[in-house]
Amino acid sequence: MEAFLLGAGEVLSPVTLIFMLMGSVAGIIAAAIPGFTVTMAIVLTLPLTFSMDPLQGIAVMLSVYVGGYTGGLVSAALLGIPGTPSAVATTFDAFPMSRNGQPGRALSLGVWASFFGTVISTAVLIVAAPPLALFAVRLGPWEYFSLIVFALTIVASLVGHSLQRGLIAALIGLAIATIGTDPIMGRPRFDMGIEMLAAGLPFLVVLIGIFAISQLASEVEDAGAIKTGQKLVVGDIDFKTWEVMREVLMRPVNLVRSSLIGVAIGALPGAGGSIANLVAYDQAKRSSPHPEEFGTGIPDGVVASEAGNSATAGGGLIPLIALGIPGSAVDAILMASLMVHGISVGPRLIMDNADLVYGMFFAMAVSSLMMLVVCVLSMRTFLRVAEVPKWVVVPVVLVCCVVGSFALNNRVTDLYLLGFIGLFGYALKALDYPLAPLVLGVILGPIAETNLRRALMTDGDWSLFVTRPVSLLFLVAAVLSVAWAVRGILKSKRQTTDAKDTI
Amino acid sequence: MSLPARPSPSEEAGEIARLLSYIGLLTISAGLFLEAVRIPTSRFEALGAGAFPMLVHAVLMLLLLSAIAGSIRTLPSEAYARFAGQVRDWARARRLVFVVFACLGLYLFAMPIAGYPIATLAFLAVLQTTLAPKTRGAMAVALVVSVLFSFGLNWLFAEVFNVFLPRGG
Repeated sequence: MEAFLLGAGEVLSPVTLIFMLMGSVAGIIAAAIPGFTVTMAIVLTLPLTFSMDPLQGIAVMLSVYVGGYTGGLVSAALLGIPGTPSAVATTFDAFPMSRNGQPGRALSLGVWASFFGTVISTAVLIVAAPPLALFAVRLGPWEYFSLIVFALTIVASLVGHSLQRGLIAALIGLAIATIGTDPIMGRPRFDMGIEMLAAGLPFLVVLIGIFAISQLASEVEDAGAIKTGQKLVVGDIDFKTWEVMREVLMRPVNLVRSSLIGVAIGALPGAGGSIANLVAYDQAKRSSPHPEEFGTGIPDGVVASEAGNSATAGGGLIPLIALGIPGSAVDAILMASLMVHGISVGPRLIMDNADLVYGMFFAMAVSSLMMLVVCVLSMRTFLRVAEVPKWVVVPVVLVCCVVGSFALNNRVTDLYLLGFIGLFGYALKALDYPLAPLVLGVILGPIAETNLRRALMTDGDWSLFVTRPVSLLFLVAAVLSVAWAVRGILKSKRQTTDAKDTI
Repeated sequence: MSLPARPSPSEEAGEIARLLSYIGLLTISAGLFLEAVRIPTSRFEALGAGAFPMLVHAVLMLLLLSAIAGSIRTLPSEAYARFAGQVRDWARARRLVFVVFACLGLYLFAMPIAGYPIATLAFLAVLQTTLAPKTRGAMAVALVVSVLFSFGLNWLFAEVFNVFLPRGG
């Protein structure tokens, strides 16, 4: 309780609250800009938090995170373009609702559903993270290695269009992570005599290059559209705040189910909001007495998608806090932010820094409340941001990426690396390789290697990976996730063949 | 056993490009695997510094070989003849992407020499005027944004965050 009050006190300090308010506004604005993802917003916030206290920095980043998930719905609802990948299912019903003359209602439904989704996920986080952390400290290197194998297979099988390319991307990430000194003995590897490679590739530069640069480059693919500089938003917007709040609360089953789906998917390492919104939408449709109405602009669809994706914010913190494994790219950046402040992330985090962890829980709740207030009071003003044309956004955000990469280590060589990785990331994106498994491979690679080698230093018997129950459980889950993905691919191929035969 | 589904002509170029990427990655992976084999093992542990990279590259090579086999099976022989033309069309449609990367490359190369403010001012001015519609309003906005994010951001980082961006030399 003392730790909770200490953490809450720090979050509620006026300076932190002002920074969080700015973070919330920045997150909403950033995600409302097409092509600017929550991940990019968090990446650009990171260097600004270096000079803050650890909890203050994390609280600001959480407010950007929560704001960003909500901001993604702006372009999804008004333009049918998901501002972030986590808002894909939001376009299914929010966009038709806007087209039917109710853009304000669509936005308001999304904002309220996001708020309740975040609150529910924070409650689950508070209950689930401490016992999971206590369990996690009893796990040995065998279990950790198997868990990482599971995390990589699940992300490879859930993201993108091809399981094979997902696995290849994850292994490329692991291979990139082996460049530089090895994590146990410090022996140099694969540096080709280049000084820049000797210390290994800084994973935040890799992250910015892979996600941000490649995304920005793909935003200018359509030369005709970018040169017209057209406005994105037209029409008047009436928010109907309280009426819509009642409308959302009248759907308690959908709201709670979608939020719990979001928490569960967010808690799986590697999964995230981009999957949660689709699964939550799918479940809402399956359990509705009128599934045929989904996709025509009904509130249930908007509530399911937005509650689902916002709840992943709390869910994603569960493996981060309890196991030290980031559930998504955003969680990886949060982890990096803690590491920059010299705090080691892992099962002992909640025991050694209880005030920080409880402060994070509290900051989540405050962030969601702040997001709600900001959206209700000034959504119309924010919508102006969606009018910024891409020819301004792309060059400016590229500069922000360059500044962010340089500010991490004050090294010019990191800038060259950023350019190479950005080009490599764009090539992979153009070739339809999923990028999330690659980045998680880079992040999890050193943890996987350390645990594998530590396990075999403790006992040279390889069979321990399959004879220790928890390790076996994770490996079986990894095999099942691949088998499930293969089954899905075969099923869709069969359906395609059947459809062709019918024609 | 039935043959795998053939890609449509529009998908063929993508599949050939992926095939080339598999071959390129396989070559690099094989080279790194051989380098990992040469890393001496330690007497303090069962696995040396080369063991994990060997494991990663071995699995990666297996996956890439399987992907190469899959691609070759799905691609009709006449697809390769059409590839060069399709690549030209693809590159022409995405010419602005190449412009962005060329500008970014020059910008990153010039920054240590010219310094952050001047390099950024030039980068933003050139890229924005290339991408923007050719109107006076757009040009004025581009100029203001360029000054704001070059000299303005440099001042903000130096004075507020105490982070000094490259000064040039």
